[in-house]
Amino acid sequence: MKRLWKIFKQGLVFENPLLMLMIGLCSALAVTTSVSNAVGMGLAMSFVLLFSEIIISAFRKVIPNSLRMPIFIIIIAAFTTIIDLVMQAYFPELSKSMGVFIPLIVVNCIIMGRVEAFAYKQKVMDAIADSLGMGLGYTWVMVGIAAIREVLGNGTFAGIQVMPDTYQPILFFTMSPGGFLVFALFISFNIWLKGKMQKAAKAKERA
Amino acid sequence: MMKQFAKLGLILAIFAAVACVGLSFVYAATKDPIEANKTRQVNESLKDLFADADEFVPTDVLSADPSIIFQTAYQARKNGVLLGLAVKAAGSSYGGQSVLLVGTGLDRRIVGVRVLENKDTPGLGANAKNASYFVDKANRITFPGQFAGKVVTDAFEVKKDVIPITASTITSKALTRIVKAAGDAAAAWIENAAMLAPETAPETAPEGGK
Repeated sequence: MKRLWKIFKQGLVFENPLLMLMIGLCSALAVTTSVSNAVGMGLAMSFVLLFSEIIISAFRKVIPNSLRMPIFIIIIAAFTTIIDLVMQAYFPELSKSMGVFIPLIVVNCIIMGRVEAFAYKQKVMDAIADSLGMGLGYTWVMVGIAAIREVLGNGTFAGIQVMPDTYQPILFFTMSPGGFLVFALFISFNIWLKGKMQKAAKAKERA
Repeated sequence: MMKQFAKLGLILAIFAAVACVGLSFVYAATKDPIEANKTRQVNESLKDLFADADEFVPTDVLSADPSIIFQTAYQARKNGVLLGLAVKAAGSSYGGQSVLLVGTGLDRRIVGVRVLENKDTPGLGANAKNASYFVDKANRITFPGQFAGKVVTDAFEVKKDVIPITASTITSKALTRIVKAAGDAAAAWIENAAMLAPETAPETAPEGGK
């Protein structure tokens, strides 16, 4: 149990896919202009990651090494198509605003990376813990970046006006340079947080 | 060696087949809701443009501009009398294809424009679809909303008689072009219809004079 918790925790800060591993960034920057998009993308990613890791970890003994890439793609593409169709059917508005980024989950480096580096070598339970940690680590960063960009760049939070009417939205934040700036601030924050946590862990060991 | 290839191929085929079967089930389950969503959206927009109409008759309207495709057109009728024409027109915009529903009345004025599909940058071009984004903040007029009441023979020039979405001139121009093309074609069609079958057009219909 403790081991699973440790794997889960890795994805949140120490090995955060966006802030430390720095993979899967393009779609992250593109959809974080609104909080509802970020939540949708985070959940869609977590869903695909969770099920791909489970399936690949469960069948890792029968997937030949030389064939692993095409098989990974088949599995990931299948789950991505499932989530795409489900969103079109039950959340048409969200699906429209995310545009091409849902189908592009297939080639998202986070999923390919975790499947290759983790799920293909580890037990199913560990893979579940890893995918949940990575998924949550991805989602919190997405929502955090989106919150700042949407409030400053559009004056709204999840579509609800939060700034006074006189507030002139800073368009810079909805465009990619603003995205990079906020993203960089999150990286610095995460490095600071990591340092703090490591110190705290060392202090605990000594005590 | 050959045997090894056959084995690998077989394994790949099994994975692909299982994935296909799984997907076909999901596809079958979600097909109806997706279709229903699409038709509901078109019907709602039609009803929204021509609130008085009690039936919408699909019609063919030809596009003069090859880069703008009219997917379908509907005659809005009330008790069999033509009220106007709604054209579902698709053309390319900043983020790919955009689909608009353009309503044109018998007086050659745009009744209204609804954005059905527009893939664009959130916060910028995507505001074309945002009902709470106003290009004219004082009068609370949205980007598609500003076309209502315009005569199809107007200039339709962005930054002149069309207010663009901030920092999205390409999107604004592309959408305006679609509205103009659909409005022109619809006005021409209405004129023809009035000449061919004068009894279906009310007396107030313009005589097509210039």
